[in-house]
Order: sequence, then structure tokens, then C-alpha cells
Amino acid sequence: MNSFGAVVPLLVVVGAALIVFLLEAFLKKENKNYLAYLSLLALIGCGILSANAWNGGLTYFDGMLRLDNAALFLTFLFLIAVAFVILIGMKYISLQDANHGEFYGLLLLALSGLMIMVSSTHFIVIFLGLEVLSVSSYSLAGLKRKDDKSSESAVKYFLMGSFASAFLVFGLAILFGTAQALDIPGLVDFFKAGPDNQVLGVVGLGLVLVGFAFKIAIVPFHMWAPDVYEGAPTPVTAFFSIGPKAAGFAVLIRLLAPYWNAGFRSGKLFGFLWALAALTMLAGNLIALRQNNIKRMFAYSSIAYAGYMLIAVLAGDGAGLLFFLTIYMFMSIGAFGSLIALSRKGREYNELGDFAGVGFKYPWIGAIFAVFLLSLAGFPPTAGFLAKFYVFVAAVNQGLTPLVLIAVLASLISVYYYLRIIVYMYMREPEREVSIEMENPALYLVLFLCLYGVLQLGLFPGNVLYLIKQAVAALL
Amino acid sequence: MIPPGYFFILSVVLFVLGIIAFFFKRDLITQFMAIEIMLNAANLAFLALARSSNFVDAQVIVFFIITVAAAEAAIGLAIVLLIFRKKKTIKTETLNSMKG
Repeated sequence: MNSFGAVVPLLVVVGAALIVFLLEAFLKKENKNYLAYLSLLALIGCGILSANAWNGGLTYFDGMLRLDNAALFLTFLFLIAVAFVILIGMKYISLQDANHGEFYGLLLLALSGLMIMVSSTHFIVIFLGLEVLSVSSYSLAGLKRKDDKSSESAVKYFLMGSFASAFLVFGLAILFGTAQALDIPGLVDFFKAGPDNQVLGVVGLGLVLVGFAFKIAIVPFHMWAPDVYEGAPTPVTAFFSIGPKAAGFAVLIRLLAPYWNAGFRSGKLFGFLWALAALTMLAGNLIALRQNNIKRMFAYSSIAYAGYMLIAVLAGDGAGLLFFLTIYMFMSIGAFGSLIALSRKGREYNELGDFAGVGFKYPWIGAIFAVFLLSLAGFPPTAGFLAKFYVFVAAVNQGLTPLVLIAVLASLISVYYYLRIIVYMYMREPEREVSIEMENPALYLVLFLCLYGVLQLGLFPGNVLYLIKQAVAALL
Repeated sequence: MIPPGYFFILSVVLFVLGIIAFFFKRDLITQFMAIEIMLNAANLAFLALARSSNFVDAQVIVFFIITVAAAEAAIGLAIVLLIFRKKKTIKTETLNSMKG
């Protein structure tokens, strides 16, 4: 149904971002929290409008913007993620001497980019959404202007990100030249028809996939991720670990879903993606083993997680992928939130050695962090186990047993470095004095909600799976 | 009239030159220029295709890409300036504070 209502949720977010940028100029330093409250209000408004559009199938701009249930489900996911990031970031940015209101405005703009990416089936619109996301992400990474690492991560993210965008655009040009279409249904028709100039079309598609592989950090296109994750302010890193990844995978399943029942597993692309998935899981987890900086370790862990998600794509399990992304959102933001809990004015504790003895000195933070680590490692009854379990079962049912074996092996390797943090927290004597800022209610609220999410989805996932079923129906 | 196919070949050449320059140049501004060349190669490809197939869409797309390139230039130059103010150089070898 063609309706202006399809654009309104987006307009709320962008409008709020512009108001935040405007107010930033007039607000005193100690009042910057009002911008956070305004942003949260906009997120709630956008959430209500999106909830009303559920099952509505609204479209606008000649079908360029399409709010189907899959787009709406991912929009909810992003809204929750950005709300969490804002809450864990409020105190952090003032403690780390980066109390700029732009943090909230840029996050909202990045959110609008994500929303555009997931709610379109036309590649030019997807590209524009990706760029809105990227340009705001580059500046978010450099938010701690006085910090060398933060600036360095911004410049690396910018260079690698725009390099990947150039690949994406050139791939689109070739695709457009051969298929005469850039909307996903048109491209699917073109590749299914099998005309003579398909070689050129496959080259174009390959370049587009390389562009997306950069954004979701799949090995061998991952080299920017560790530096960017380590240098960026921790709340922003939490956002990077879920936002671009989820949106990239959304585009990937929109593009590949029509083939799932039409010879997808015998095509050449399949073997290519299979190899990438295996490489991503193994390389991500193996390199993570020798990291002593926890943020960097999480960067490699998030690379490995992109590999697990790729299995869901290969198995043609759209519901499994959305479920995985939902759970990963809670685990990842929870883990980065625990890192933020261990910080004080002008100082962050990110090295493994800092965590020695933390479990006894700060029992609550230690315990919650341990739950997130166990979930990331995939122990039952946490949600991390269920996420991997669903995806692996779907893959075995499709005859992908060798890939699942590699995945289980990679998963076992990952247990070592997740448990290493827990061992440091509970079984080592403190190496140096760690004192942290305790007064941070917003952060504790997020930690509690993420903990709730991880346990609820691990034990009683029924409600979310019901929503996901409705969402996936829109894709197939 | 020059056939559109030639423009397309030129765009591929420009794109490859951009990739080579990106990997072999060692300062941020030149690498950024390499990326701009790659984006403009895509623009040229779109225009060549618009001419050969009489699709107006491609010409509109070029405007979008130019806009995106401008936004990236604005953010990118600001970030490079930030690096220059800290390190007094924009050589990429100096960006080595993180390892592992």
C-alpha cells in the first residue's frame, strides 16, 4: 500500500537528530543529558510508529521504501540497540572527556541509515542508506578527539570504509549495465533467466558482495575491524558490533532468499561463501586467542560471529539468522556495557591484566560480565547456546555437515579466550589497583535488560520466534 | 562519435588505477584521492551505460554518487586534518598505536 506513513518513522529519527545538533550549540556542558532524553523520546516515538505499521506492508517513493515485516523487525532491533548504546554512553562520554552532544545526533543519523538499508529492495537506496550509516560512523569512531587511538581508528575506518564503498558502487555500475536493473527482484529475474552476458553480471555481483563483506567484517576483508573496535569509544564499538553487521546481513538475505529453493546450493557463489564462512570462523577465533586487549579480543570474536551468521545464510535459514542477530545484540551490548562499567574519569580498563581479581572486588559486575561471556562462548542455558544450536541444526538438515563441524571446532576454540577472562576475574590476585565509578544507573539498567534478554531468549524464546516467523514470511 | 564501450573500458582502467594507488601510496590524502578516482570511474561507467542503453536512471544515479562523494570528502578531510594536527604528518606509517 502506497502511503506516506512509510516515511514517518524515518522522519522522526532524522528530525530528532537535526534538533539534537541544533540544541547542542546552545546547551551548557552539564546539561548535555537532555539531548540523550530527547533522543530516547524520538526512539520511543519511532518504535510506536513502526509497531503500528506491523503487517501493514506500507511502501512509498514508488516502492523504493518498503516497510515489510522483515524491515520492521530489524528496525525494532536497531531501535533497542541504539537506545542501549545511548544509555551506556551518557556517563561514559562525560567521564572520558568527550561530552559532545553530537554523540546522540550522529547515533540517530546512523540509525536512520540502518533503517533505510533494511527497508529497501533497490540497490541505490540501499547504497545511500549505507553511506548515511558510514559517514556518521566515521565521525562517531573519532568522537574522543583528544585520544590518539580514537582518531586513528576514525581515519582507518574512513579509508577502508570508503574503499569498500567504491567497490560497491563500481559493482552496481556493472550490474546495471548487464541487468538493466538495480532492484533486487529485477536482478533475481536477470540471474535466473541466464542470458549470455552473465559473466559480467557475476563480476558486478562479486564486487557488490566484496563491498558488503567489508562492512560486515568477513575474513579476508576484516583487517579494519580490530583497530577500529579498539580505538573507538566503547559505546560506539558496541554499536559497530551489531548495527552495520545486522544491516549487511539483511541485504544479503534479501538478495539470496529467492535462490534458497532454486539451486542455491549447487551454484558457484555457494562454494565461495562456504569458504569465506569457514575462514572467517577459524581465523577470527584463532587470532582472538592471542589478544590481551579485551576490546580487540571482542573485535575478533565479532568477526567469528559474522562467520556463524554466514552459515545461517548458506543454510537458507532466515529465521535462524534474525534470531541469531537478536541474541547477539543483547550479548554484545551487554559485554561492552560491562567493560564500560569498569572505567573511571579519564581512564578505561581494557587490558586482560586489569581484570585480575575484579570478580571479588565488584561481585555484581563480575557475575553479570561472566554470564555474557558464557553466552558468547555458547553455554546453555544462555541464549548464545540456543542461537548457535538453531543455526547448526538448520545447516545439518541442509547437508552442510562439514561446515558445521568446522563451526563447532571454532566455537570450542573460542571457549578458551572467553573463559580466560573469567579465570582472570575470579582466580588471579589483582596486579594493579582498579577503582571504578560506581554511580551509573543508566548503565546498570542496560546491563540488567541485556541479562534479562540473554536469559529470556535462552529459556523461553517462543514470543520472539513468533515475531521472527512473521518477519521472515516477508522475505520468501 | 566515440562508442560508449570505450568509455566503459576507460572506467575499468581508472578503477584499477585507483586500487593500485590506494595500496601503494603512503599518505592519507593520496589514498583518499585514489578512492575518489574509483568513485568517479563508477560515475563514468554509469554514464557510458546510460548512453548505450538510453536509460535515464543511470544519469540520476550519478548525481547521488557525486553527493555521497562530497559527504565523504567533507568528513574524510576533517578526519585527516585531525590526524595532521596531532602528528604533524599524514604519512600512514605513523598510524601504528594499535597492534595485535
